[in-house]
Formats: sequence, C-alpha cells, structure tokens
Amino acid sequence: MTIKEKGYTHWEGRLKNGKFPWWPITRYGIKLTFKKKFFKFFFFGTLLPALVYLVGIYVSERLEDFKSMVRESPALLNINPGYFKSYFTNDFLLFMMVMILVFAGGGLISDDLKYNSLQLYFSRPLRKKDYFFGKASVLVFFLLIVTLIPGLILFIFKLIFSGSFKFFVSYPWLPISVIGYSFLVTAFFSFYALLISSLSKNRRYVAILIFSTYVFSDILFGIFYGIYKSPYFSLLSLKVNLQQVGAFIFNQKMQYSVSWIYSFLVLAGVCVLAGFTLKKRIRGVEVVK
Amino acid sequence: MNPVIVTNNLSKWYGNVLGLSDVSLKIEPGITGILGPNGAGKSTFLKLITGQIKANIGTVTINGKKIRNNYTLFSMIGFCPEQDSFYEEMTGWKFVASLLKLFHFSAKEIEERAEKALEIVELTKDKDRVIRSYSRGMRQRLKVAQAIAHEPEIIILDEPLNGLDPLGRRKIIRLIKEYSSEGKTIIVSSHVLPEIEAMTRKIVLIHQGKVFAQGDIHYIRDLIETHPHIISIKCSNPRELASKFIHEDYVLSVHFDSEQDSLLVETRNRDKFFALLPPLFVNFKIEVQEITSPDDNLQAVFDYLVGK
Amino acid sequence: MAEKKARTFRYFLSSIGEVFSVFFSLGKAARKTKFFFFVSFLPVIIALVIKLIQVFSEQTTLSGIFIFSNIVMVLYLQFLILVLALFFGTSVCSEEVEGKTLTYLTTRPISKSSIILGKYAAYTVLIILMVAIGLVFSFLILNLNNLLNFRLYKILLRYMFVLVLGLICYTSFFTFLGTFLKKSVLFGLVFGFGWESVIQYFPGSTQKFAIVHYLKSLLPVSSGRRFSFLLFQLEPSSVGTSIFMLFLITAVFLGLACLLFFLKEYIFEDQ
Repeated sequence: MTIKEKGYTHWEGRLKNGKFPWWPITRYGIKLTFKKKFFKFFFFGTLLPALVYLVGIYVSERLEDFKSMVRESPALLNINPGYFKSYFTNDFLLFMMVMILVFAGGGLISDDLKYNSLQLYFSRPLRKKDYFFGKASVLVFFLLIVTLIPGLILFIFKLIFSGSFKFFVSYPWLPISVIGYSFLVTAFFSFYALLISSLSKNRRYVAILIFSTYVFSDILFGIFYGIYKSPYFSLLSLKVNLQQVGAFIFNQKMQYSVSWIYSFLVLAGVCVLAGFTLKKRIRGVEVVK
Repeated sequence: MNPVIVTNNLSKWYGNVLGLSDVSLKIEPGITGILGPNGAGKSTFLKLITGQIKANIGTVTINGKKIRNNYTLFSMIGFCPEQDSFYEEMTGWKFVASLLKLFHFSAKEIEERAEKALEIVELTKDKDRVIRSYSRGMRQRLKVAQAIAHEPEIIILDEPLNGLDPLGRRKIIRLIKEYSSEGKTIIVSSHVLPEIEAMTRKIVLIHQGKVFAQGDIHYIRDLIETHPHIISIKCSNPRELASKFIHEDYVLSVHFDSEQDSLLVETRNRDKFFALLPPLFVNFKIEVQEITSPDDNLQAVFDYLVGK
Repeated sequence: MAEKKARTFRYFLSSIGEVFSVFFSLGKAARKTKFFFFVSFLPVIIALVIKLIQVFSEQTTLSGIFIFSNIVMVLYLQFLILVLALFFGTSVCSEEVEGKTLTYLTTRPISKSSIILGKYAAYTVLIILMVAIGLVFSFLILNLNNLLNFRLYKILLRYMFVLVLGLICYTSFFTFLGTFLKKSVLFGLVFGFGWESVIQYFPGSTQKFAIVHYLKSLLPVSSGRRFSFLLFQLEPSSVGTSIFMLFLITAVFLGLACLLFFLKEYIFEDQ
C-alpha cells in the first residue's frame, strides 16, 4: 500500500517529452523581477559600462575629431582583446552582476522553501532538473543581457565604425571568447546565487549572504596577499578567479602568476558544490511505497 | 447600554482598491459577529478598530478615545489576528509570557496569567514545546491565549475558529460566551456562518467593504420583505395538509418532496402561517415529524442580501 | 503635571526596557544569531591561520599588533560591522513586517517608539557582544607572545571603542532604512558597500558624508607600509568632532525611525 504524505502527491504520471517544461518558471521569474520597484532603473544602470565602452570604440575610430579631448597617447583607446577583457572583468560590472543576483536571485528558491511551494511544483509534470533550469534561466536571462549582448554589440560596432573586417581578421577568435566568457561568468553566478538561495528561507539573509560572501572572499584575499604576497591567495577571491579566467580566455596577461586552471577549478568547485546542495535541499513530496 | 466602540463614516482604500466604505457602527458590550465572505472587509474593519491601519476617512473611538497611536487603550483590548504568524523559535509559554511582559506586569503576575491563559486554551501540556512544532489548531489556540492573557475588557477575534477541530471550536465558542456573560465586549469575525450563529444573534454583515445589515439576525431576516420565507414540514400526509392552507393569500407556493414526505411552503407572512399550523395538525390528525425554516439562518440572510 | 510627565517618561523607559529584555532573550537563542556569531568569528579563524603560518614558517616580519590593526581596519570596519549592522538593523522593523508579528507588538500598551528603541538596543547589544568577543580572541591569538605588554591593550580598547561606536551608528541608520523602505537590505548594501566605500576617498569635506570617515578618524594612525591604502586620502576630523557626529547621526536616524514607525502603516504582504 502506498503511504503518501498529506498535501500534494508527487506526479506519478508519464512525463511527456514536452520541449520546455521549465519555461513557465523562467517566464514568471523574469516577470516578477521586473515588477520590483527600482529594478528596472538599477538594471539599466548595469548597462552603463557597455555604453562607456561603446563610446570608447567610437572615439577610437574618430581620434582626429576628439584630439583636443584625448591628450594622452592614443594607445589608451587601442581596441584589442584587452579592451574587451577589461569590459568583462571590470570591478564595477562584476559588482553590478552580484547586485542583479541579489535582486533577481535572492528569493528564487528561498521563497519556495518559505511558502512550501515545492510540493506545488513537483505535483506537476516537472522534473528536478526542469525546476533548476527554470530558476537558473531567470538569472541567465539577466546576466547574458549585461555580458553577451553588450560584448557582441561592442564587437559588431567596432567593425561598423572601422568600416572594414580588419579587426575580425586580426582576432577571429574574439567573438568565441566573448560568448565563452559570457556563458562562463553567467553559469558561475547562476550556480552561486541558487546555492545561497537554497540555504535559507529568509530572503534578507540570502541577499546579504550573496553579497557578503562575494565581498568577503575578496577581502580575505586582500588580507593574505597583503601579508604574504603569495599570488596563490588570489584563489580565495571569487572576483579575482573570474578575472584570471577572463584574462586567459581573452588571451591577455594574468594579473597574478597563478595558472588559470586553478582559478577555473575553484569556480567549477563552487558550481559542483551548488549542484550537490541543490539536489539535497530541493525535495518534492516524498512518497514511501 | 453605552456603546463601547463607535465608528463614524469609516473608509479605507488600499491604493485604488476599496477596503471599507462608509461604515458607521456602534458596538455595545456582548458578542457582535462580523460576517462576510473572504475579501469583504472584515479584517480591514478589525484592523481599523485596533489602530493597526489608518482610516482614509472617518473616525474610530473606543470608550470615547481615538484608537490610532493611542497605546494606553491596549491595556483593555485583546486582539487575536487572522494571520498565522508567531516568533517560531519561542515556546508557547515564552510567547505568552513575553507579550505579557509588555503590559508591565510583575514576574509573578506574568507567570500566573500565562499559566491561566494556556490552561483555558488547553495548551498547558505543550507549553514548553517550540511553536514551530505546534499543529494548526494549537497555533490558533495560542493566538487566543495571547489575546486573553491580560484579561481585557474588549476582545477582538479575527477568524478565531480557523483550523480548529469541532471540539476545539465548541470550546472557544463556550469561552467567548463566558466572557460575554462577564460583561465584556467581544467582536468575532468569521465567514463560517453557523459558527457565528452559535455565538450570537447580534451580527454585522459586511460585503464588498460595505455594511449590508446590522442587528438581530431574525430582525434582519424579517426586514427582507421582498424575499418570502420558506418553511419545510415533514409529516404523514403532506398533500392533505397543503390543501388546508393553499387558499390563504400569504401562501405563495407549495412544493412536494415525495421521497421525504415533506412539503416546502413559501409564505409572505411567517408568523401568520405558523399560527395557522397547530389547529390544522390537531383537527385533521396529521402527524408532524419536523418543521424547519431552511432559510431562517445566517446563510440564507446573507445570500439574499448579497444577491446570490 | 511635572510628576505626570516624569511618570510617563519613566513608563516610556520601562517599556523600552521590557522590549529590550524580550528581544535580547529571543535574539540570543535565535538561529540567525548563531549564524552571525560564526560569521563574527571569521577574523578569529583568519588570525589563527596567520599565527599558525607564522609559527610553522617562523616568519616574524610583521608584528602581531600590526596585523591585528590591519585586520581590524579592513575586515571589521569595512565589512563585518556593516554586515552585522545591516542585517540586525533592518531586522528591527522588517522582520516584524515580513513575519507578520508586528500586530502582537502594536496591540500592547507601549508606545511605538519604545518598540523601535527597545529592539534596536537589544540587537545592538547582541552584535556588540559578537564583535567584542571575536575582537578579543583575534587580539589574543595574534599577540600571544606579547600579552604582558599592557600598552597593546590600550590599542585594543581603542579599536573596541571605535567598532562599538560604528555598530551603534550603522545600526541606527539601518534601523531607519528598515522602517522606511521595503527593500531596505538592497539600499543598505548600496550604501554600505557603495557609498561608504567610495565617498570616503573623496577630497575635502565630501568624505565627511561617510560614517566610516569619522570612525577612521578615531583610529590610531597605522605605520602605513602595505596597508597604507586603507588610510588613503583620509583627511581626519578631530576626535571630539568625530564622536559628536557619530552620536548625532545615531540620534537623528533613531529619531527618524521612531517618527516613521509612528506615522506609517505597515500592510502585510497578502493584503
């Protein structure tokens, strides 16, 4: 005899091979995030660096017109992969991405835990991975808008402003780097935010944890590096790890003489930890047969 | 009797949504039932009279004093809110005792009052368990306990019977009636009509933010002249009985239920009809099993008033 | 009349005391307090790690007090007290609204100001204790071989004093934010890690618009070297001015919090 917990019962029907069962979760999550006061204002503020860098590309192509303003060496506006790397790994952009996680990611799982909604999800024809994918996609949506899209736009506008494909011929791998790094940083931050969101039912805790863990890791690195001057302490900082991997992807010199592989492993480790934790924390109704 | 709580033109909007509209009431000692479906404005009304929210228009006074931001009045008011929220990490005892502390009682008084309140709601056995582990019914009783622990003169209960089993409900109803007999003023809100009916005859019907009716339930029923009364009679020979009064002009219609051996009579004048029946039963030797008035209860009154 | 006023004021103080007692007791046993207690012990763990490295590698280039002074500066001043004050300060009002327990407090015969002040006091004392314990342990660990140097304890007391003032001031600001805004944590993060981090480096009077400026002005000037960037661009105010400003900021924001809490109505989420 099947013993069921009171409440909703787990879906025991056949799961259809529906194309995107997670899509309603994503769609609703995005809609809900945009409804929050100040989010729209804040989100468009995140696109400011992209605007600044776009202006930089324009100015670099019109240096003659801006000679009076750009008194320094034109090398300042040398558009190369380093320019793109500096956009993707600048502190302000990373900080704003963390703030997007706080806005959009704080309540993603913690609210479901608080209001006991997991039963509602899993009493529908939804698998755990659909649930995760749906939730993660909310963050992926916002993060790709501030990474992938501006990155590709900067590349395209460079070609347009320069009036030739010379830039593409010189750096044919650059679009792949833009796409690769965008997805890497988006995946990492999504896992990171979902991990923390699953740890508590209190959205305020989660918001503070998301932010302070990121900041604390950097402060920790600052302390140990300041005392011991060993570049390996850079592995403590999530921000520096992202910058190190970014430098490798854009074929630039790394700031700290630590192999990018270690930085990548640290980031991957966080993602794996997130995977295990989410699998454990997210449980539908338990059916004991 | 002097009214204890007086509201004048009380109105409340939540943005563009009307919560309560132009409610003027005088609530006297005894039990007053606030009745209405979900979203009618009952909780809004109770929150206004306990000063939790500000009225956009109108005033609320308790014993002649305005309630909003007048904390001194709360020494004689006990409020049991609708929401199921607690300091979950406290034990039941700690919860009641901590809230009693805010009345500036001495430690000994706090202990005595907390014990008494928990005993009344039958939570003495579970008082040292954390609230998080309480069942729904226990949580509801704990809410009532915190409202009565300081022995207030005015007790306001927002859906106090939610989540209680039938025995629990009966106990709380009995408790409310006991308090009423001590001369206290009790306001109880509910959307479960039989519960209110079991407690009091004084009701205020609220729907869509407006007061539809106020007063004794029978009085209100009688006011609804446009809607005839329906009386059900279960007897040995319903058709013969019907033939005796069908010619009366205050009898509007008769329906027969062959399965139940009963008839449903629709009448414009209930009192006249009831006066007519006993001689008919005796003279024509009709055995009567049951006479009921299916619509002479709160549900019927409510349905008529909200036009269902 | 004067006696009536005194009785009322005594009642007000007594109400604050009762609220303090309830929430200090609740806060002590709360899960969140245990978690943040662990967080406040992170500097102790860091101090332990540094000390162990020093012991095993026999590195003694930097003195214990120098490391302590700079951990305090960086970790406590620019991170820990902000996080603790942000969470507990915003909790004063927000947790009652989010948890829908506000009704229990506002239907007691105590003024709304006493609720705010009592909770503020309870949470501030809790976080001061957390920070103080961590600070003392970090100090003892890092100065293990210098514990008999009583001059160092003066430095410890000075740092403790600055951090206590910082907690009192920041918690009052975040309490105000919590009564005023629904998304108080977000604005608190932007203020604490955005505004405070940036404005303190602005020249002239601009840096006086950051609370951390007055806190840093009270610290002993470090011998610079590797951590001189922490005092970078600091144009310190006098000790008297700094203490006065910190108390003034505390009083103003607590006053505003009480006023807002008195005037505002809080609608719970499902309404």
